[in-house]
Amino acid sequence: MSEEKKNSAGNLNDVRRRIDEVDRDILKNLQERLEISLQTRRLKSQVRDQDREKRLLDRLKADCGTRQLLEPEFVLNIFERIITQSLSLQETTGGLIGFQGEHGAYGEEAARLFDPSLVPIPCRQFDDVFQSVADGRLDCGLVPVQNSLGGPITRVNDLLLETSLKVTGEVILPVRHCLLANPETNHREIREVFSHPQALSQCRDFIARQGLIPRPYYDTAGAARKLALDRSRTEAVVAGRLCAELYHLEIIKEDIQDRNPNLTRFLILSRDESKREADKCSMIFSVPDSPGALFKTLQIFAVRNINLTRIESFRDRDHPGRHLFFCDFQIGARKTDLPGVLAEIEEATLMMKYLGCYKEHR
Amino acid sequence: MNAIKLAAREGRSRTTVKVGRVEFGRNLAVIAGPCSVESEEQTLRIAYAVKAAGADMLRGGAFKPRTSPYAFQGLGLRGLKFLARAREETGLPVISEVLDPRDASWMSEYVDVLQVGARNMQNFSLLKEVGRSGKPVLLKRGMQATLAEWLNCAEYILDAGNPDVILCERGIRTFETHLRNTLDLSAVPALRALTHLPVIVDPTHSTGRVDLVPPMSMAAVAAGADGLIVEVHDHPDEALCDREQAMLPEAFAEMMIRIRDLRTFLDGAEQRMEKKGDGYE
Repeated sequence: MSEEKKNSAGNLNDVRRRIDEVDRDILKNLQERLEISLQTRRLKSQVRDQDREKRLLDRLKADCGTRQLLEPEFVLNIFERIITQSLSLQETTGGLIGFQGEHGAYGEEAARLFDPSLVPIPCRQFDDVFQSVADGRLDCGLVPVQNSLGGPITRVNDLLLETSLKVTGEVILPVRHCLLANPETNHREIREVFSHPQALSQCRDFIARQGLIPRPYYDTAGAARKLALDRSRTEAVVAGRLCAELYHLEIIKEDIQDRNPNLTRFLILSRDESKREADKCSMIFSVPDSPGALFKTLQIFAVRNINLTRIESFRDRDHPGRHLFFCDFQIGARKTDLPGVLAEIEEATLMMKYLGCYKEHR
Repeated sequence: MNAIKLAAREGRSRTTVKVGRVEFGRNLAVIAGPCSVESEEQTLRIAYAVKAAGADMLRGGAFKPRTSPYAFQGLGLRGLKFLARAREETGLPVISEVLDPRDASWMSEYVDVLQVGARNMQNFSLLKEVGRSGKPVLLKRGMQATLAEWLNCAEYILDAGNPDVILCERGIRTFETHLRNTLDLSAVPALRALTHLPVIVDPTHSTGRVDLVPPMSMAAVAAGADGLIVEVHDHPDEALCDREQAMLPEAFAEMMIRIRDLRTFLDGAEQRMEKKGDGYE
């Protein structure tokens, strides 16, 4: 091949690679567009709103004016297709479940494990998950409450105390951290590894064995997305398998966590109590500052032979010196006993908040 | 041999190296598998075949030392993932060759035993690196190396803090050109007196001919080898390297029966001699 031909082949490849990148962006934006429009369906009386459609298309047409290549007919054609698809999805799609983080986060893996028929919707913060379920944009939300290595997730437990939402399910996800890198990366050149501090700390031995520099980032999937965007060849991320698929990253090594199993327990939140079969309950209570106060409360479970699966104490921020106890128990087939149990606990405590009853994940 | 302190026998009891369920230096350990990892499917297929034949461990090259730079260089890290997958599926521990000191820590994440090839026997920075890896090391004999030079290389690994070294005789260069190399089987009993480390034999690379693998394997076992490392491929004609020397799984399975029987016979003879109070040693 002549030098000139070689150069033009190289340039063509470069340009095509940029086209591939832009196409991926278009797909990502299309998905986001459909996800957002799905969130409107509970907020309006009927699916179709022709006034809104007309205004939307008019605005797009006006926007085309200054962009030479965007002929209005072409743009309107595409957006009419998008609107049609949005409307049909609003009629056919199942429930929306919110999770914290970007697409590919462990929350999304957990949501898929809990119920694959639900559509996972990313939310920026835990607060946004609670808020979006409360105001009706999402049907339910999924938040992590505890990890077998890292302990409780404080912010989520704080939010549970304040929320009016009910706990309607749980799911336990085995967390399998992977080292991900851009496909053209040579493993010998990896220097830094980005991820959520929790994930980095769970892979501390692996990171030390390979002499990598751990760099904290706000989110595991966010780190994966950034790496794919930056195309760095000296950086890697710790994230789940799903991120490798979503962001076209290569799995250098699977299961790099120092300890197994590494389990994260998630709770499902909904506006109304679960009407489905349930055998496990969650509640929060605080007890008076007196001898045997906690003992007397726990005795209520003991005499009824009810097994506690979790009891964890948190400082009560409004009342320094006092503690809040988060507790989960197996009510089993005796759900009819529940009102009696709750009444007795209410009697024995300063404050009791019943969070809900749901099916235990085994 | 004065500089050989840690590898020398000198009244030490024989070292055993445990990998999975097999113990080099105690049982007859047989490692088998393809020259190169070519694909996930090929690796799994051969892994199941050698396991069924009674192999204790799976071999497979991911980083290949090739005479020509234009020959297939191996799948690299991707090949190691296929090996790790084969271990997960079959339960066989895996061994693969490390070529670059920078790869020792990475390879340790995937394999159970690191192999240092004949061409790298005296790559001292590589020896120090595998010595720090925390994984057992199979050290092949360089093709022009004397026993003393070889044991000095084992000394490097032991000195770096790794006690789990397995030696592997793989043939040396002599004036004879009929075969690829000359298998120095006398090294096996000679090493028994010189070192406490386990010694295995590679009948594949030493002869370079598949028809010579079974008889030389029998001879190796008879000479007291602690194990064998054998190349097996189910489609040798399509193999990406060394296609003329890989055994078919069926032939390997037959050979396994013979060598296991031979070892049982030899162990029995040993016991009978001990009873008479007149052992071999």
